[in-house]
Amino acid sequence: MAHITLNQYLQQVLEAIDSRDGAFCAEMLSFKHPHVANPRLQLSSPEEKSMHLHSFQAHKEENWALPIMFAATLDLRIFANNAEQQLQSKGKGKVGDMLEKAAEQLMSCFRVCASDNRAGIDDSKKWGMLFLINQLFKIYFKINKLHLCKPLIRAIDSSNLKDDYSTAQRVTYKYYVGRKAMFDSDFKQAEEYLAFSFTHCHRSCQRNKRLILIYLLPVKMLLGHMPTHQLLKKYDLMQFADVTKAVSEGNLLLLNEALVKHETFFIRCGIFLILEKLKIITYRNLFKKVYHLLKTHQLPLDAFLVALKMMKVEDVDIDEVQCILANLIYMGHIKGYISHQHQKLVVSKQNPFPPLSSVS
Amino acid sequence: MAANAAQQAPTPNWPYGSNSSGESKVHENPEWEKARQALASISKSQNSTKTSPTNHTTQQTGPYQATDSSAMQQQQQQYYQQWYQQNQQQYAGYPYPYNYYYPMPPYGGPYPPGQYGVPGGYQTPATPTGQAPAMPMMEDQSIRPGYQGYQTPAYQPPQQQGPGQGLYGGPGRVDAKKPNNSNMNKGGQQLWQRMKQAPGSGAVKFNIQKRPYVMTNQNFPSGDQAPGLASPTATNPSPGSVAATSTTSTGAAQTRPQDWPQAMKEYVQRCFTACESEEDKDRTEKVLKDLLQSRLQDGSAYTIDWTREPLPDLKTKQSRWEAVPQRSQENAIGRGGATRGRLGARLGNYRNVFSQRSPSSSSSHSSRSSSRSPSPHSRHRDRSRHHRSDSGSQSDSSMSSDPRLPLSRRQQKGGRGRGAGRERGRGAAGERGRGRGKANRGRRNMEDLASGIGKKRKGGNAGLDFHDPNREAKKQSRAARFHTKLRTEPLVLNINVFDLPNGTQEGLSWDECPIVGTCQDITKNYLRLTCAPDPATVRPISVLRKSLIAVKTHWKSNQDYLYACEQMKSIRQDLTVQGVRTDFTVEVYETHARIALEKGDHEEFNQCQTQLKALYKDCSSDNVGEFTSYRLIYYIFTKNSGDLTTELVYLTPELRADPCVAHALELRNAWALGNFHRFFKLYQNAPRMAAYLIDKFVERERNLALRAILKTFRPSVPVEYVQSSLAFSDLDSCLAFLTGLGVTFTPSDPSKIDCKVSSASLTTL
Repeated sequence: MAHITLNQYLQQVLEAIDSRDGAFCAEMLSFKHPHVANPRLQLSSPEEKSMHLHSFQAHKEENWALPIMFAATLDLRIFANNAEQQLQSKGKGKVGDMLEKAAEQLMSCFRVCASDNRAGIDDSKKWGMLFLINQLFKIYFKINKLHLCKPLIRAIDSSNLKDDYSTAQRVTYKYYVGRKAMFDSDFKQAEEYLAFSFTHCHRSCQRNKRLILIYLLPVKMLLGHMPTHQLLKKYDLMQFADVTKAVSEGNLLLLNEALVKHETFFIRCGIFLILEKLKIITYRNLFKKVYHLLKTHQLPLDAFLVALKMMKVEDVDIDEVQCILANLIYMGHIKGYISHQHQKLVVSKQNPFPPLSSVS
Repeated sequence: MAANAAQQAPTPNWPYGSNSSGESKVHENPEWEKARQALASISKSQNSTKTSPTNHTTQQTGPYQATDSSAMQQQQQQYYQQWYQQNQQQYAGYPYPYNYYYPMPPYGGPYPPGQYGVPGGYQTPATPTGQAPAMPMMEDQSIRPGYQGYQTPAYQPPQQQGPGQGLYGGPGRVDAKKPNNSNMNKGGQQLWQRMKQAPGSGAVKFNIQKRPYVMTNQNFPSGDQAPGLASPTATNPSPGSVAATSTTSTGAAQTRPQDWPQAMKEYVQRCFTACESEEDKDRTEKVLKDLLQSRLQDGSAYTIDWTREPLPDLKTKQSRWEAVPQRSQENAIGRGGATRGRLGARLGNYRNVFSQRSPSSSSSHSSRSSSRSPSPHSRHRDRSRHHRSDSGSQSDSSMSSDPRLPLSRRQQKGGRGRGAGRERGRGAAGERGRGRGKANRGRRNMEDLASGIGKKRKGGNAGLDFHDPNREAKKQSRAARFHTKLRTEPLVLNINVFDLPNGTQEGLSWDECPIVGTCQDITKNYLRLTCAPDPATVRPISVLRKSLIAVKTHWKSNQDYLYACEQMKSIRQDLTVQGVRTDFTVEVYETHARIALEKGDHEEFNQCQTQLKALYKDCSSDNVGEFTSYRLIYYIFTKNSGDLTTELVYLTPELRADPCVAHALELRNAWALGNFHRFFKLYQNAPRMAAYLIDKFVERERNLALRAILKTFRPSVPVEYVQSSLAFSDLDSCLAFLTGLGVTFTPSDPSKIDCKVSSASLTTL
């Protein structure tokens, strides 16, 4: 394959098209295919591929060309990515410009697919929607335009095919939707999507599973599920180990240290701000310990102040303690109230610290 | 096959391009359509496409064709529209509907001389060189009107390529085929048209144009000659052209499909049969067109043994056009972006034609003129014209429904200054029509020829232009010569071309064409630029420095934000225009950002922030930290955790150490954890102007905090605590805030809030 002539190559492509063998044709056209490395085929310029994006639309009532579109759009995105990087390294161009242009193209393909209402379900180009959406997600997440995802998600939500796409596509889709939900602080939904993604991701895709876990872990922790040490080890996510330990122990100090230590990693993954919210859980666990130590339902606020100081929380005062407690009560992590007059936290006699999974 | 395919891929354009898409194509097409029809059995899909009205075409044809046809439709529509417009104006006497449906009739023989008035218009086109084909330039405008009237007829044929046209060629046929054409709107119309048409008119017209077509290449260079010549030439047709005309007409006669030697027709058939794919057919079509035209013109078509004629070798032919693919690519990229695929490239021709309406229109105009004369030739022409018109009317229904039509029409008119041209054309037409005698005819012939050439050239241009990467540049330079401002592209095109601005943008980039201002005014009102800046109104940096100081002092003493903002904007504009990106620029933006922040003008503030972010990459400033912190706080305001995270990624340790940034980070931390106590403490200690920014959302945070407080404290909480926690400066403002939310105070002690009751009422808010 690496040494065929241009004619041979084109012949093969043509045959694939004639026989409507979309998958093979896609393989031929993809820039992942070995023909790209073949110097004798260098005439086949990028122009060639993009044309297929357009010819695609005209094929009414058939969808055999979907694989071609997949290959072409995938290449398009990768090209845009590379172009973006090259431009950036040269200090030229607007950030995300290339990617946005690619997204525009993908959108036009998406519109074609989404508007294919006439064809029967088997021949519908709607089967291409999810793939395109996933590609678009990748771009939007990269250029930080998550709000653009909304209409796409809506399109899938209202689609009757949403559960019938290939597992691979659904895993990707749910991964991104889960991430988006996480950023939107909709942790319940994020957990649901990311968990689906994780459990359905193919076992050979360890890297993908790890990626999913990076977002699934914080969400799970926020909802009160702590990962086991083995899991973290298996997926090489030991950065979370200390965080997990700190949260479950209510060890605010350790948590702060862990966050600082792996800050770069967390920030790069975009989960730093989520992990930070674990502090609230940590407060809760810490205060729960105070409660267990004092064994009373009327807890002096000073006790919490001492606990916080022990955790080396600087310049904290009684007002701030009230503030933290107020938040915990407001969010449902503590059942009780503060008596401002007596400077005491009065907790419920039954289940004053409800399990995290039942909260929020 | 493989070889073919190889050639095809790169060259999708060349067939069209070679044809000199413009009018020549138009005229030729009808014939070809006929030929194709004859071959209907062979090239089924193609024929079917063409035969059916344009609307249907899409489905039947291959993907490419479908698109093409649609593109053509658009063209057609526009042309038609143009024509229609003109027609209406010119022939005011005619009832509207009549014109509308039967656009062509006015030109038909039966018409009063007034109709022929157009010829005047056509003269202009006649000068091949004169009208720069490409150019919808201002100078051309006067001429143009005339053309435009003609445009429609000329263009329609290609679209209508369908059998209908072929039919029209021969009178007898017309009847037979009419049903096809008339599908949509016309039964009666066609009849009417037919009656008006002179028998056998159609073919001649095509011929004439063909001739020019052959000459295209030769003429083409001339086409690029100064456009200014156009009008003069037009009025004074060169005598030489007359002679040429006669030949042309004869050639034209030969070309009529009916007259084709049977052997030749069979040859054509063979060629198409040999094709394996649609692309092949397309290519073959082009090659054949070239070949047959030359043969027909030199007469060898009737002498050679067609049965021995080798099938066209696409390869060799292609070599001629080797350059084209590249061009087309470039073009495609420039215009449509890389996205336009092969299809796009192909479409490109059509689109291009479309976009170049004005040139094409001019050419079409000339073609029209040719049809105008009462001479036998003219009659033929008329006929052909009718066909076209017919087809035009067919498509009309679909077109009229097109919402874009009015727009495009307007564009054409407004953009090109057509209106004036039209007037002129009309006047000329009137004169012409009256004077149309034999002499006139001769003249007309000349003109025809000339126009044909021009057309050719033009057509060639239209077609080739598309491929010409320098076209825009040329156009611009030409425009520059006349100090006219040209749209870089016709508006219509822009719809399809999202990438268009590329070239222009880069060309206009301030970095690349720095100017140095000469204006010495310290103050200057801001006026949004709508054209290239004039150095005389731009202030150099030295003056701008004084301006900045003046604005600052004015602001300090008067606090007149409107004035300050306007002055700052004009300073910014002058800096931008001159491409100044220095520390001074940073200072200007920082100043403006602060002023805007102080007055809560977040639009301006954000503009400045965006600029500053970019500027800080190049210019250092002591205030990087300050404005970074503003950005962070602004993200808190917009709750944009995504951007916030990105911002965090780029925070260097040094930047984090900056007091402003550190404060902003702490604020963010407190905000994220809902730690309102800390949040408001930080708010009270905000450095520099951060407090102004926090003011933007402090209310929101207070609201949230109050809810937490009311839900947490039992049985009551003192107002004082709320006041200090939520950083109210005094009790009154706190009370105003609380009562505004409908908070209930303890009956026994108004200084305490009844949390339970208030909480309930607050949640219902």
